[in-house]
Amino acid sequence: MTTVTSIDHKGKKIEFFPENEAEQDIPDDELHEHLARPSTERTRRLKARCRWKHASAGEFVEKGVSAGIERMRLITEAHKANDGKPEVIRRALGLKHILDNMTLVIQEDEFIVGYHAEDPNKFPLYPELSYMAVQDYLISDYAPQPVKEASEINDYWKPHSLQSKCQEYFDPVDLTRMYQVSTMEGPSFASGYNSLIPPYETVLEDGLLTRIKLAEENVSNAYKQMEKLPWDGTTGLEWLDKIDNWKAMIITCKAVISWARRYSRLCHIVAEHYETDLKRREELMEIADICYRVPAEPCRGLKDAFQAKWFTFLVCHAIDRYASGFAQLEDRLLWPYYHKSVVEKSFQPMEFEEVVELVEMERLKISEHGAGKSRAYREIFPGSNDLFILTLGGTNGDGSDACTDMTDAILEAARNIRTTEPSIVFRYSSVNRNKTLRLVFECIRDGLGYPSIKHDERGVKQMLDYGKFSLNGNGATQEEAHSWANVLCMSPGLTGRRKSQKTRSEGGGALFPAKLLEIALNNGYDWSYSDMQLGPETGDPRNFDKFEDLWEAFRKQYAYAISLCIRCKDVSRHMEGKFLQQPFVSAIDDGCMELGVDAVVLSEQPNGWHNPITSIVAANSLVALKKLVFEEKKYTMDQVCGALRANWEGYEEMRMDFKNAPKWGNDDDYADTLIKDFYEDILGGEMVKIRNYSGGPVLPVGQAVGLYMEVGTRTGPTPDGRFGGEVADDGGISPYMGTDKKGPTAVLKSVAKVQDNQKANLLNQRLSVSMIRSGYGFDIWKSYMQTWHDLNIDHVQFNVVSTDEMKAAQKEPEKHQDLIVRVSGYSARFVDIPTYGQNTIIARNEQEFSSEDLDFLNVEL
Amino acid sequence: MSVVASQLHREDSTCKPCRSCKWQIPDPTDPNSGQCTANRTEAGAVWKRWIRDVMNMTCTRHEEGKLSFREHV
Repeated sequence: MTTVTSIDHKGKKIEFFPENEAEQDIPDDELHEHLARPSTERTRRLKARCRWKHASAGEFVEKGVSAGIERMRLITEAHKANDGKPEVIRRALGLKHILDNMTLVIQEDEFIVGYHAEDPNKFPLYPELSYMAVQDYLISDYAPQPVKEASEINDYWKPHSLQSKCQEYFDPVDLTRMYQVSTMEGPSFASGYNSLIPPYETVLEDGLLTRIKLAEENVSNAYKQMEKLPWDGTTGLEWLDKIDNWKAMIITCKAVISWARRYSRLCHIVAEHYETDLKRREELMEIADICYRVPAEPCRGLKDAFQAKWFTFLVCHAIDRYASGFAQLEDRLLWPYYHKSVVEKSFQPMEFEEVVELVEMERLKISEHGAGKSRAYREIFPGSNDLFILTLGGTNGDGSDACTDMTDAILEAARNIRTTEPSIVFRYSSVNRNKTLRLVFECIRDGLGYPSIKHDERGVKQMLDYGKFSLNGNGATQEEAHSWANVLCMSPGLTGRRKSQKTRSEGGGALFPAKLLEIALNNGYDWSYSDMQLGPETGDPRNFDKFEDLWEAFRKQYAYAISLCIRCKDVSRHMEGKFLQQPFVSAIDDGCMELGVDAVVLSEQPNGWHNPITSIVAANSLVALKKLVFEEKKYTMDQVCGALRANWEGYEEMRMDFKNAPKWGNDDDYADTLIKDFYEDILGGEMVKIRNYSGGPVLPVGQAVGLYMEVGTRTGPTPDGRFGGEVADDGGISPYMGTDKKGPTAVLKSVAKVQDNQKANLLNQRLSVSMIRSGYGFDIWKSYMQTWHDLNIDHVQFNVVSTDEMKAAQKEPEKHQDLIVRVSGYSARFVDIPTYGQNTIIARNEQEFSSEDLDFLNVEL
Repeated sequence: MSVVASQLHREDSTCKPCRSCKWQIPDPTDPNSGQCTANRTEAGAVWKRWIRDVMNMTCTRHEEGKLSFREHV
């Protein structure tokens, strides 16, 4: 590193030399190409041949990636063959038919085996979810082959699809507004997008044979209850659905065991007949043994646990139904098996280094995993695969530190192997041990963009608060509340044997305040993108006499949008309960097993949320309008409307006034007071009035993913001085890029002001590379984190990457394949992001810590 | 209302539909609709327009082809 920063602090000059002296000889613009260090030759080879599936602007970046036809063919055969059977049984037989007949894939060097399509360059499609999403694939370069057959399959499913079943309950105009994703994200029934947290714990602890036995006992008991004398039809008929659900659970568990054992047989066959390398032959026999035992039986060691978890992931997230995410509290989930294998060495004995290798291999499996997601979701995580995110750290039920050596192995592997997925969330608490915090820091320092940090205590309290609304009075206990993990990039949800989120209709989806403000300034009409009425008529803004008129017009647009979004989710969930049951997920959830209720139907722990994205563009715009129009009266609303319609052309002086108005993130009370109200009174206040399917309130999760780019391009000019088509703000509560000019602690002070009616808010920060990579880096970061924690801020994540390196990568992308950046809620390979998006990362202020900042953080250097 | 040829307009069964234009990318949800990305500023912003019907709309900027993902958003 040739650049060395220095500051004067407490009367002395502090120079920030790299902690690792060897870095002094590495040019700034290629640093990240020198940081990968796969822990073994095997993981080095696996990374080199990894079939990445990054998407950008709706396209797959890597050549040769396409949709497979196998799953859609098999699910269709089963659906036709089982017409007339109870729907949940039909769903179970659909999964069984796929698992019984799908191609098995084992690749060289793999230790964790299993894939969800007929070829590792392919991914499955789900015509039973959204016919539009499949139609889009059919006309793309990634169409399943033969296209004619795929098209016929999609035609068959059109009337049966979740999309068709839900659409008829909505005004077509409302649907048109949602499908274009400018004021609202499209409903999940039109995209097929989903997310859940599988209860991995029951699979690892019990094994599926035990789950089958439980379901069989429940069926047997149900028949006995029905046969009791005298018959009571008011309660006796309830057993019918339960019996079907338990029978469906049994079918799916048996099918999953059979599928895993097919892998076992295949490993045997390859080992005995084809493999010439003796060591690999032995390893294949070991894999065969593991796949025979798990997930049928309880896991006995760490290798068992990784394999059983992977099979469960594939079924829940990719084979039965598509669901984004890799949600789990991974260190806690694996710790008992780590203990058996590494500490006790009682089964599958190994050393810490071997655990690191296993984690690296799991990360590469996820990197290779293909998601058959709709175009909307191929657009909004540019430079990455899908939202694969796991959680670590935090506290146990008694408040003690939950970090273990398993936590450290996961972090060390992530730092070593350098992949964009899976991203990691770290639950930060004051009691977390220093050794683990150092590894968290090293991942961040090396530019991975993760772990993103969440406030542990806030998450625990949130789980307890939501639990109070449980419809069956069985919400999170104190112990369970400590077992939360992020469902996707930002929102906590319970993990464990029951009560986890099973469908995205509980939480997820977005709406866009920047665009909602734009239409509020046009009486609900969208002149800049769709040329149609996008919301209710809320008045001609030229007639707004006072700021409150504008404020209330925005509120009405927002209230309309959020109610429509949640209505879509609840209708979707209702239909999922009738036609898209998830009997395997039900089988591994203790609540579903006990009650005989399907996983998408049962709700024990409410966890409703929706994501306002682009909030700061709207908020900064409101601040500027209040100041310049309604208080100083320098401009009229008529002039503002005219300037915006002209995209500020001919109004440059006026635009600069609006651009220079107070902005969020500078600890400026004028801006912050209004923006606090905007978040708490409107964004949260209107959302919290809603009750969703689960009976709980819906709360805002301010984040952004790549939607801040997409929505920016669909939003005309705004009164914060932004031109039409320019990007929106990159995080839920992050300052607009380049407008946080008072340093990193001023940002924290602003963000800390927003507290009420929020579930989560994403804070993106870009920190000085030379400071963070210096010998002082860890101390500064640790003090920053403690201050962030004490200010009761929900979240923060970091980019530690230089502008020089990003610009060099724009010029020669092939030389910068290991350059990873944090976009928003996920990390991406920089060179796989469109130029438009790359420029938004470069435009973020690289925050340096001044002497005043260091004083505020109370750090000694 | 007269049609301004340089602007996106309806033209049933046009031989230059937006679907085949390099500036168009499909709508995020409905493949019968699309997004026009021809409107680009010098600063690099892409200001999109929604295309209601990609088979029956066109404009004079129509160019056959496909842009790299790097040039889209």
